[in-house]
Amino acid sequence: MSAATDLPALAPQAPSARRGGLTAERVTWEISGRLILDDVGVLAPTGAVTGLLGPNGSGKSTLLRVLAGVQQAGRAAPPSADLPSPVAQPGPTTAFDGADLAALPRRERARVLALVEQDATTDLPLSVLDAVLLGRIPHRSLLAGDSDADRTAAHAALATAGAGDLADREVGTLSGGERQRVHMARALAQDPRLLLLDEPTNHLDIAAQLHAMRVLRDLAADGVTVVAALHDLNHAASTCDHLVLLDQGRVVASGPVGDVLVPEVLEPVYGVRVDVLTHPRTGRPVLSFDRD
Amino acid sequence: MRALAETTTARGSSAPAGSGAPAGTRLSRAWLALPVAAVVLVLSIGVAVTIGPADLALSEVGRSLATHLGLSGPLGLEPLTALRDGMVWQLRMPRILTAAAVGAGLALCGAVMQSLTRNPLADPYLLGLSSGASLGAVLVLLAGVPLLLPVAAFVGAVGALALALSLAGALGAITPTRTVLAGLAISQLCAAAVSFVIFWSAKGDAFREVLSWLMGSVASATWTSVAIAGGAVLVLGTLLALTGSVLDAFTFGETAAAALGVPVNRARWILLIGVALLTGALVSQSGSIGFVGLILPHAVRLFTGARHRLLLPLSALAGASFLVWADTLARTVFEPRELPVGIVTAAIGAPVFAFLLWRGNHR
Amino acid sequence: MYPRPARTSRALALPAIAVAALALAACSPSASGSPDAEATTPASGSYPVTVDNCGFETTVEAAPQRVVTIKSSTTEMLLALGLGDRIVGSAFLDGPVPDSLETVPAVEKPFASEAPGSEATLALEPDLVYAGWESNLTAETAGDRATLARLGVATYVSPAACKADGYMPDPLTFDTVFAEIEEVGSLFDADDAAGELVREQRAALDAVKPDDRGLTALWWSSGDDTPYVGAGIGAPQMIMEAAGLTNVSADVHDTWTSLGWENVVEADPDVLVLVDAAWNSADAKIETLESNPATREMTAVKEQRYVVVPFPATEAGVRNVDAVASVVDQLADLDL
Repeated sequence: MSAATDLPALAPQAPSARRGGLTAERVTWEISGRLILDDVGVLAPTGAVTGLLGPNGSGKSTLLRVLAGVQQAGRAAPPSADLPSPVAQPGPTTAFDGADLAALPRRERARVLALVEQDATTDLPLSVLDAVLLGRIPHRSLLAGDSDADRTAAHAALATAGAGDLADREVGTLSGGERQRVHMARALAQDPRLLLLDEPTNHLDIAAQLHAMRVLRDLAADGVTVVAALHDLNHAASTCDHLVLLDQGRVVASGPVGDVLVPEVLEPVYGVRVDVLTHPRTGRPVLSFDRD
Repeated sequence: MRALAETTTARGSSAPAGSGAPAGTRLSRAWLALPVAAVVLVLSIGVAVTIGPADLALSEVGRSLATHLGLSGPLGLEPLTALRDGMVWQLRMPRILTAAAVGAGLALCGAVMQSLTRNPLADPYLLGLSSGASLGAVLVLLAGVPLLLPVAAFVGAVGALALALSLAGALGAITPTRTVLAGLAISQLCAAAVSFVIFWSAKGDAFREVLSWLMGSVASATWTSVAIAGGAVLVLGTLLALTGSVLDAFTFGETAAAALGVPVNRARWILLIGVALLTGALVSQSGSIGFVGLILPHAVRLFTGARHRLLLPLSALAGASFLVWADTLARTVFEPRELPVGIVTAAIGAPVFAFLLWRGNHR
Repeated sequence: MYPRPARTSRALALPAIAVAALALAACSPSASGSPDAEATTPASGSYPVTVDNCGFETTVEAAPQRVVTIKSSTTEMLLALGLGDRIVGSAFLDGPVPDSLETVPAVEKPFASEAPGSEATLALEPDLVYAGWESNLTAETAGDRATLARLGVATYVSPAACKADGYMPDPLTFDTVFAEIEEVGSLFDADDAAGELVREQRAALDAVKPDDRGLTALWWSSGDDTPYVGAGIGAPQMIMEAAGLTNVSADVHDTWTSLGWENVVEADPDVLVLVDAAWNSADAKIETLESNPATREMTAVKEQRYVVVPFPATEAGVRNVDAVASVVDQLADLDL
């Protein structure tokens, strides 16, 4: 961690990254006849924050749900580029730390990975602690209640997410930012080694946004594989180690931050003029946008 | 994770390491509610059996109960005349026990349905269950084959559910909204069919019996009803009550539930079928008593919060006591006439329902 | 009410007959009774009596001493047979008892103004519940017939009120009414009183000279938007026929039926027979007729040709003959 500022310097690609982490290939998903994802491959190394970028409708949320194995609507399909062939083509693979995620039983998968969704709400009177304790469900039998270990883990998760003082509040009374932290805490209570987040900085003010990204960095430093769909390219620039850029369900670029956040790559996808500057203190890219 | 503790202290939070103490006391205090509710139920039954239009002394009621529980010999008590004993043991007891079983089952099913459809206005009859049961019951009542009433009501309930789910599925993926809407459609369809059948074939006073059934009544409860309703609640109800964690997982939606490792489709089907079977069994004995399944879970939730492990059994116990008292009111408020208990639950439930709606809007 | 009796008759037929057979075999309580009495037509003093009542096998073990009567038809039947002292409670009466019948305290103060509940009925510890309508004997009202039988309480519904196929009188005749009087007499070991009453009623009926002007009439029982009128096979038809009136709704094969006002106006009967009930008085009916622009123009309304009959007299029972006489008298007063 950088001593001078809170923000880390650009982390080099770890050479052993390929051994652990999330590896997905040929992920293709069809909903009502339309291909939402087409031959998507994702490589998210352990101990790094991988950003999932793309304009609205590029399939980021669907990809996260498919990776987590919780996408309800639609089904897997062969990539559109596949030529018709009498030989069966290899299907999509989603592997984490070498294990096939799709083959894992549901509960075990829930102990390995956690998904933080965009807008999860409830009308029910639920305390924050209870909401976070839900994250412990994969770790205990369906008939059992909360144990002390569960409660300790929940409090720790709340503390990590920066919501430790919200434990006794009711979920319905929280602000957007507080709710987001609670959902993060719920995911952390699952003790995941792979954390998938869908736009974790939505509805947050600038301080909360930075706090959220900081949490992701620290988790990555702890050895968690973090994959976050981000709409704010500057967050991606300042926090991520590795990026995957989607456009209309296809991967148009992936690699280190410096390779992806360049005008030639971004401009066709987002349809705006992009200027890449350098942050005076951290040396990381900073993006500025203009209409064409 | 360690580094973050600094951040949180910097924000001025207390980040309690062992805040299990206050939360723990709150939890254990809430769990006390279960034995208390059980005691209240037993007491309610005991008091309700002494209340009624007939002038039965407490001692007479006690003697009747003791006789049937086999205690009259050891206690040296004189049994009552067949008629007075019949009033306690053939009229009041089966009725009160059936009310308790039906109340428990309906409240339990209501809580499950509200969580399953993530709709606070859901009740056990949501998916056409009560309209289907009514249609089956009215058909056999007017065909003059009352022996088949429980069977027909049950078949009607499950049939309507199957129709509603097929309709929801035919529209695409089965989402809670689609299921609710399909259930509404099937309910209206069955209700129209019931009205038509009554209009077409009811002769003379047949209306009264049909109306009584439609409003819900435990007046015709016998010990067989107790066995059926009680058995259904004990078997199916216990199974449903154990699904607390699964329902908890649904709190934030189905995707969240799936992410927590719950087999969403399978769980939803099992729960729906469990609710349908239990509700069908109850409705077959008592007609469609309304508002119990809708209101009781909300009332209990105010006290226990939304964690289902406590909510489900407590709803059942509270529902049982509630219906026992509602039936006692129905038996006595206009004596010597008796009201169908469904009228009393509606009279109490409708204002509470309106209040819930109002409160929902003003949150 | 057909569903309950059907079920209970199946359930109770065998035990009831067995009980009757056993009791007969064990020598009847009244030694002076004829020993070869059949189960359904016992001679005086021979118990138990079993009757097929609206499809339900009712067995009366001994002359009922504590009777709960529901509705005026049954109450007045017992009073007319001189059995008023057996009534321990009356309920759901339709009007005051006529002066010709001697009333008793239990009838002066009914214990329920509407159909009583089961417990309230049983609290009076009856051995017989005599109901005027089938719907008075369900679990939601005085009690399910089978349940009551199990508790030792016999139940009897006025046979003219049965609705089940094969039990509904089709049509209702005075013979049916008189047969009920005789059946009630047999239940109470009061065959002599019953026979006497029937003789009186027959004589009174024969003495009535029906109106011979060939008048048409409509019998309006209740209802405002859609009048509930006497149809072809019930008590209204029976009474009107005996009084010499032609019922404009005689072609409807039912006891009572709902008729649209249009049909009524089209039929334009010569006379309107109005039922006077506490909940729907004859005066109110007249007011409706005279204020409704369509019915105002009917001949009978313009000429005020109304015949009024009190409600209790319009259900099959001991007042039907009086109703016929009254109708004939009122018709004579109308100048046509």
